[in-house]
Amino acid sequence: MGRAYSTIAFDPAKCDGCGDCMTACAQAKTGTDDIARSRIQIYGREGAPDKTFELALCRQCADPKCVTVCPAGALNKDSTSGVIGWDASKCVDCLLCTVGCAYAGIALDETAGHVSKCDTCDGNPACVPACPHGALKYVTTANIYNEVGDWEDLFAPGLAGCQGCNTELLMRHTLRRVGPDTVLATPPGCVPGMGSVGFNGTTGTKVPVFHPLLTNTAAMLAGIKRQYKRVGRDVQALAIAGDGGASDVGFQSLSGAAERGEQMLFMVVDNEGYMNTGMQRSSCTPYGAWTSTTPVGETSRGKTQDAKNLPLIMVNHRCAYVATASTAYMEDLYEKLDKAIAASKTGFAYLHVYSPCTTGWRFPSNLNMEVARKAVETNFVMLWEYTPQDGLHFTKPVDDPLPVTDYLKAMGRFRHLSSEQVEHIQKKVVENQKFVERMTEHAHVG
Amino acid sequence: MTTATLEKAAATEAPRKQKVILAEGNEAAALGVALARPDMVSVYPITPQSSLVEHLAKLIADGHMDADIVDAEGEHSVLSVLQGGALAGARTYTATCGPGLAFMFEPYFRTPGMRLPIVLTIVTRDGITPQSVWGGHQDAMTVREAGWIQVYCESVQEVLDTTVMAFKIAEHHDVMLPVNVCLDGNYLSYGASRVELPDPADVDAFMGDKDVNWHVALDPLRPMAVDPLTGGTTGKGPQTFVRYRKGQCSGMQNALRVIEEVHADWAKRIGRSFAPLVEEYRLDDADFAIMTLGSMSGAAKDAIDEARDAGKKVGLIKIKTFSPFPVEALKQALAKVKALGVIDRSVAFRWNCGPMYQETLGVLYRLGRFMPSMSFIGGLAGADITIPHVHRVIAETEALLNGAVAPTEPVWLNEKD
Repeated sequence: MGRAYSTIAFDPAKCDGCGDCMTACAQAKTGTDDIARSRIQIYGREGAPDKTFELALCRQCADPKCVTVCPAGALNKDSTSGVIGWDASKCVDCLLCTVGCAYAGIALDETAGHVSKCDTCDGNPACVPACPHGALKYVTTANIYNEVGDWEDLFAPGLAGCQGCNTELLMRHTLRRVGPDTVLATPPGCVPGMGSVGFNGTTGTKVPVFHPLLTNTAAMLAGIKRQYKRVGRDVQALAIAGDGGASDVGFQSLSGAAERGEQMLFMVVDNEGYMNTGMQRSSCTPYGAWTSTTPVGETSRGKTQDAKNLPLIMVNHRCAYVATASTAYMEDLYEKLDKAIAASKTGFAYLHVYSPCTTGWRFPSNLNMEVARKAVETNFVMLWEYTPQDGLHFTKPVDDPLPVTDYLKAMGRFRHLSSEQVEHIQKKVVENQKFVERMTEHAHVG
Repeated sequence: MTTATLEKAAATEAPRKQKVILAEGNEAAALGVALARPDMVSVYPITPQSSLVEHLAKLIADGHMDADIVDAEGEHSVLSVLQGGALAGARTYTATCGPGLAFMFEPYFRTPGMRLPIVLTIVTRDGITPQSVWGGHQDAMTVREAGWIQVYCESVQEVLDTTVMAFKIAEHHDVMLPVNVCLDGNYLSYGASRVELPDPADVDAFMGDKDVNWHVALDPLRPMAVDPLTGGTTGKGPQTFVRYRKGQCSGMQNALRVIEEVHADWAKRIGRSFAPLVEEYRLDDADFAIMTLGSMSGAAKDAIDEARDAGKKVGLIKIKTFSPFPVEALKQALAKVKALGVIDRSVAFRWNCGPMYQETLGVLYRLGRFMPSMSFIGGLAGADITIPHVHRVIAETEALLNGAVAPTEPVWLNEKD
């Protein structure tokens, strides 16, 4: 697995364009106050309605175009630090690198007469502490992958998911995180359909795993967990379930276990329908969507009802932890996974993961992460977390959402939508956002 | 097994002194459960079972019983919680009836397939609709082909003793199947009776070591996939599925032997004997017999005593173990008579007769000779089966002996009540 490196992260929402970072950089790197020579540049965003700023800075890319285009071998990515270094003795001053970089991360220092770029000041960047607003941070943004790579993969190689499905990714990451002292319940659906419980005496999982019924996942897990607790053994109870079983026929046992505060982590992989059985509608299927039981025809234009918001229903059980997550935001997901595991030691933890279905939603298999990201960027789904102590708050607030059509048009299941239907969806997106926003104000019950 | 044989099987080692109490059937069942020391009980109330789970909750609350009690949100989850518990090694128990059993059916059918030795008391109740909350065997009879062992009790004392024995039968390594202890709703559930309470030390010695999930477990110390997809047409699918189903059938047949052994051991250690499979009452010199199940057998025995006094050569065949159906034991009993009347407290809709009658027809075929027989249905939805009702059964069965033609329809004992 690839390594993750530290980089300078910029939060435009916190930047007021003061330029202190540029001054600090210029001083550190040139011994002058000439901010034109700073390797970090802040620009006012053209055409922005309010005063916002953009960053020109080397991203220390994993696949750096500057390095690729350099004809002299003067730029190289250091495999230990991840920093892209510039070698003055090799540079021929062709400036091809400044064209190759999409981020204006390497530029001509006219005073020096050659290109210059950020070297992160050997891991102690001068610009970061200089920012008075905390808009700059020096972080290892993908540090989780360094850790995760060292944990045992508890699923067998070669699970049989559809091409481009991210559920296998989710299963592997979740199992790595919870570790081997786990009992895993995978009710009928895509998760066992991939072979996690195996076929005719084989298994796809290295931890104890079973098919509950579609209807009784939370109840069976509760019994398992209670007996281990009774005999003094710390065993993690984990469900990885589909949205259909959880929101429809299995909802009673889910609700019952949540109400009793059964100690488990219940993860719902929400692909908005019964995808394993042939893409039928569930109560989590969104309005307007084609499914095999809400087909498009002369008298039918997809599902006629809005989706049930299962995670909000779980909030109203006052579970120890409830969160929504997306595989397009793995760090956010991992933070929530950690919190959910911790909460499941004392109560019911519920994690709802929005998981696009390449097969059932009708989009190319290479676009799964993009579709997942667009769902968040349009506010079609919202990423938040809830605890009884701190109430509900957004973890990835999208204050300036893209129009929902940016999301809908990515998928064949919405291709038939009329403008009225799109309007309905957009209206519901706004309504839902306002609804959850109000919960962030009032959900804190102390 | 004859009554005389039963008496001979009485205790050879003196059990400890037994406390005598007055208890309803539901309380007796709860006391039996407490004596068996389960790790986990899961409950959901339903008439006429409710006082049983109330007694359990009280026994636990008062510290007389050390078990995790799970007040689940419905019978479906009740049994599911216990399946999880059993897969983690717990001895488990619950009780239900009628609509609750119907709601439980999905995990109910699965329990014997997973070979989980769960004990479930059915406080029998008639099936709805017509809407009814009273006793009848329709609930237990409706699920008789789901792979559970089902035993029916005649008395409150038998409820207590059988409840303990049920755990021993279920957990026997040659069986590993769940057990229904069927106790008649209303008659036994609310019928207060003198009950002797075995000493816990004697019961502990009887029960021995607990070993619930040696064969199938969800345990990180010995990870396995429980119930992967099995069957289909590819690979070893067909033979694997057959192996499991055949194993269930073998377990059921083994249970016939184990139920007898466990009853004998109980008699030896506790000092009380019950016919484990089929009880014969005044049958040895009988010309004809009537056949009963559950609490109606008391009235039937009284009626037979009266009929004997009047010179009628009638005996009783009482079924205790209904599933697995005790074909051989019943065949031996039937071999002694020439006509048979069978009283059911439920209906076999497909055959227009009682279910026990329907099952018995198969045994009659194995006798290799024709025997006239009749189906009587009584005691539905809490109705009484009284001594006069049984006399009617005796009279109509006796008529068969004298050449009367058996009707093709059942006789409905309470049709004019």
